[in-house]
Amino acid sequence: MKLSSVLPCALAASSLLLASCQTKDQFAGLDGDFADGMPLPERTDGAAFLGGGVSKGQFSPVQFGFDSVEVGGSEMGKVQAVADFMRSSQSDVIIAGFTDERGTEEYNRGLGERRALSVREKLVGLGLSGGRIQTVSFGEEMPAAPGSGEAAWAANRRAETGVVR
Amino acid sequence: MPATDLDAGEQGLYTLRMMTRTLCFLLIFSLGLAARAQDAATITVRKGDRVSLAVTPLGGPAGPAVTKVLQNDLDLSGWFQLVPDARGSYLVGGTAAGGSLQGRVTDSSGATILAKTYRGNDREVAHQFADDIVETITGNPGIATTKIAFVGTASGPKEIYFADYDGASARRLTSDRSISVAPSLGPGARQLAYTGYHEGYPDVYVIEVASGARQRVVKAPGTNSGAAISPEGGKMALTMSKDGNPEIYLTGLRGGMARRLTRTRGVESSPTWSPDGSELIYSSDQGGSPQLYRIGAGGGGARMLATGFAYCTDPSWSPDGKKVAFTVRSGGGFSVAVLELGGGAARVVASGQNPVWGRNSRHLIYSSGSNLNLLDLQNGRTTTIVSGLGKVSEPTWSL
Repeated sequence: MKLSSVLPCALAASSLLLASCQTKDQFAGLDGDFADGMPLPERTDGAAFLGGGVSKGQFSPVQFGFDSVEVGGSEMGKVQAVADFMRSSQSDVIIAGFTDERGTEEYNRGLGERRALSVREKLVGLGLSGGRIQTVSFGEEMPAAPGSGEAAWAANRRAETGVVR
Repeated sequence: MPATDLDAGEQGLYTLRMMTRTLCFLLIFSLGLAARAQDAATITVRKGDRVSLAVTPLGGPAGPAVTKVLQNDLDLSGWFQLVPDARGSYLVGGTAAGGSLQGRVTDSSGATILAKTYRGNDREVAHQFADDIVETITGNPGIATTKIAFVGTASGPKEIYFADYDGASARRLTSDRSISVAPSLGPGARQLAYTGYHEGYPDVYVIEVASGARQRVVKAPGTNSGAAISPEGGKMALTMSKDGNPEIYLTGLRGGMARRLTRTRGVESSPTWSPDGSELIYSSDQGGSPQLYRIGAGGGGARMLATGFAYCTDPSWSPDGKKVAFTVRSGGGFSVAVLELGGGAARVVASGQNPVWGRNSRHLIYSSGSNLNLLDLQNGRTTTIVSGLGKVSEPTWSL
């Protein structure tokens, strides 16, 4: 085969390839390479999980296994409750992630954030806009249950949902 | 758990290293040592060997106070055996008064090897003199003029404290009454970056240590935390989640554009800079439990460091570039481990967490409950430098 006939073929093939890349979802999804995550929306002025402007305690905290960021099947009902609320309301939410005391501090801040983001991804998977969902991590600060031991640790590995008023 | 001790293999290695390092000053050092070396045919410098040094009480009204600080600095440096009289290989003396110190060091022949005037308060002049003594006699950088910062709970909530390297002159730097954590001191301790929840979200603040002026420099959506100021002081590496996952980013000390370095589904945290600022080591759980990874500051692929431990966080890259210290979790407790980057197994050196290197790459400071400890890796000595400020954690140590 002559070069003159190879070149158009190669060009056609590469443009096909490019086209198929472009039609792929921008967000690679839960099993993707995570080159593009779901960027978080800008913060809402005057609303912070710890401060004013946010109602807490409306939803049951989503619990996590030790050192895990996966939202288990048993926890999906809690995520569904948040999704149902969001569909019936205009309010945005802030998801706050927490860990137990057993990791090192800075890693736990990252782990708490990843837990909050996991819940956010589930909500997006249920069809809600990621633009309505902010996240924050408190790491091992502000435990839900005081003290040490399996029961306290399990209670503290959680993601809480606050509603921006 | 006993503090570090070198095993026989490392002892040999140490001997070799020590010989190279000290060859220069051994040559000019003293007739006595040279004669001894000749007698023994081979020079063997053991880890216990220290240079004998006599500090004569400094004269002047501030003499007693400065002498006390100076002796402690020289002792903690690990390089010297302090002897009570003039039988030392070196003799330290001088006069301290009215915010200045005239210091002098002579060798055993009586020749002056250091004579200098220092200005500052009693502790400052003692620290400066101590570092000059260490550098003049051993050729190694001293740590006495360096500063530390850490998290303490003495006033209730977690706040940032600032102190001399030996824990003295500790003062609270923040009064946020929220959660103030993850401090990082820049070169010369001029700036301190930390994670503050003052506005309800974890954001990165930078404090000008001298004036106390504070600025919120990173306040992107999500969590911004764990900033590490670069060795030259102009950049920060930190964890940000604004793009949908906790990843390592680089930004300026005044904030601005953040450039993303990592792309995983895991949690990236606790970046630490190589001494020349060209690389970073951080912790990532992309493969399951947290492990250490090394990446170029310009981006590219990350390489996992084999440590042999299942849970590795809080890396600190030594200023000589040769080692990384980090926290290991095993059996429900935390240990401090050191990995030689040139090869070899990581070894546990203490019980505790959050290790940071001093600028001499010889000492580590780490947290252990309500204490901060100073560990001399060369002689295995541990000294508690901070206690009584509540639960203390996350120390940072200026270069």
